[in-house]
Amino acid sequence: MIEILYNVEHQEAAGLLIAIYFYLTGISAGSFILSTLAYVFGQVKFRPIGKIAVILATVVLIIAPMALLIHVGRPLRAWRLFYNINFTSPISWGSFLLTFYPINCIIYGYFIFKNNARMTKLFGTIGIPLAVSVHGYCGFILGFAKARHLWNTALMPILFLVSAIVSGIALVIFVVYIRDKFFSREGKVNEVLILDLAKLMGGFLLLDLFLVLSDVLILLAGSEEAIRAGWLLLTGKFAIPFLGVENGLGKIIPTILIFSAKLRTTNRLVWASFLVMFGIFFMRFVVVLAGEFYPLI
Amino acid sequence: MVIDLRRCIGCHTCEVACKMENRVPLGVWPAWVKQVEKGYYPNVRKSFLPLLCDHCDNPSCVTVCPTNASFKRKDGIVMIDPHTCIGCRYCMMACPYAVRYVHPIQKIVQKCSFCSHRVDAGLKPACVEACATGARVFGNLLDPQEEVAILKNTHPVQTIKPEYGTHPNIYYIGLDKDAVSTLGKPR
Repeated sequence: MIEILYNVEHQEAAGLLIAIYFYLTGISAGSFILSTLAYVFGQVKFRPIGKIAVILATVVLIIAPMALLIHVGRPLRAWRLFYNINFTSPISWGSFLLTFYPINCIIYGYFIFKNNARMTKLFGTIGIPLAVSVHGYCGFILGFAKARHLWNTALMPILFLVSAIVSGIALVIFVVYIRDKFFSREGKVNEVLILDLAKLMGGFLLLDLFLVLSDVLILLAGSEEAIRAGWLLLTGKFAIPFLGVENGLGKIIPTILIFSAKLRTTNRLVWASFLVMFGIFFMRFVVVLAGEFYPLI
Repeated sequence: MVIDLRRCIGCHTCEVACKMENRVPLGVWPAWVKQVEKGYYPNVRKSFLPLLCDHCDNPSCVTVCPTNASFKRKDGIVMIDPHTCIGCRYCMMACPYAVRYVHPIQKIVQKCSFCSHRVDAGLKPACVEACATGARVFGNLLDPQEEVAILKNTHPVQTIKPEYGTHPNIYYIGLDKDAVSTLGKPR
C-alpha cells in the first residue's frame, strides 16, 4: 500500500480558454479552406458559400487570439513574442501565423467581394498553407508538450487539422441554412448544396474517427502513463465527454445521418452539423483537460 | 546536485529555507519534499522525495518557451527571465517534473533557480545550506574532485524520469520507486 502524505499539486497550465482558442482557430481554418474550394480549385457548386465562409473565417480568427490574451499572465508583454523569437517553440511560429493569416483572410475576402477572380485566386492560394499551418501549429503546441502522453503524439497535428475541417464545414452548413431560411428573399434552402457539403463533412468525419481510434489504441499499447491516459478516456472521468459526446453524438450519429439515404433530410443534415460543432468543441475540451488530469510527480 | 536520500529525514527545512530566500508567495513552492507512507503495520516505512527543478541538460521548457524567457546559463542553471516571461504557461505543459508554478503576484512562471544569486556570490543554494543532515550536496558535477561528483560517480544513483531524455542534473542516492510514482490525487 502506498499513501501520499504530502505533495505539492501541479497547477493547471492550459484550461478551458485554450480549448476555446483551439476550437475557434479550427473553425476558422476549416471554413477558409472550404471557401477556397470555390475560388481556387474551381468547384463551382460551392460558389454560394464562398463569401459566407470567408467572413466566418475572418471574424472567428479575430476573436480567437482574445482567448489567448486572457489566458496569458502578462498580456501587455505579448510584443515579446515578435521580438524574442525561439525557433523551436510552436507558440513562436504561431504568433506570426496568427498575424499573417487574418490579414490574408481580409485581403482575400476583399477581392472576393470586388469580384476580382485573379487576385482572389492568388490570395486564396497563399491562404491555404497559412490556414493549414495556423491550425496545424495548435497540434504542434500539444505535441511538443512532452510531459503528457496524451498530447505528445505525432498524430496530434493531423488530428487537429481533420477536426478543424470538419467543424469548419459544419459551421458553414449551419450558417448557410440559417441565412437561406430566415434572411433571404425566397426563404428557400439550397438542398443540393447542403447535401454536397454534408457528404464532404461525412468523409472527413470518417477520417477523424479513424485517427481518434488509432490514437487511443496506440496509447493503450504505450508506456504506463500512456495506458493510464488511454483508460482515462475510455472508462475514467472523461469517458462520457469523450465516448458519449465527442464521438457518439458528435461523430457517429452525424455520420449515420449523412450516409444513410433513408434517414437523410435537409433538416437532419443541419442538426448533424450542429452536433458536429458541439462534438468538436468537446474534442478540444477533452484533449486539453484530460491531458493534464493526472499529477506528474 | 546530489541528494542522499539515506540521510533525508523529511523535515521540510529545505522547503522553508527556499521560500524565505527567494521570497516565494503563499501557495506555491519551488522546492518541496514529497512524503509517501507504504507497507502494512508493523512493516511500514516513510519515503521522502525532495523535489526541485532538475536543471536538465536537454530542458523541454527551454525548447518550447516562445520568448526565450526560459534559458540555460553557461554553467547549466536553467533560469527564467522575469522581464521576458509573458506567463503563457507553455513550459508548465512541457516540464515532466511539474516544478514550475505561476507566481500569484507577478503572474509569470517561476521555479527553482538553484539560488543563482547565491551561486554567483560563491555561496551554496539556500536549501543546501539549511539541510539539517547534509543530504543535499551541491557543486560542479564536471569537476571530478568535487564532493558532488565523487558521490555521483561512486554511488548507485538515479534521476527522476530518465526516460524523457531530458538528462536531469539532480541525482538521488537511494531513490524509492514508490515515492516517484504518480498515483497522487488527479485534478
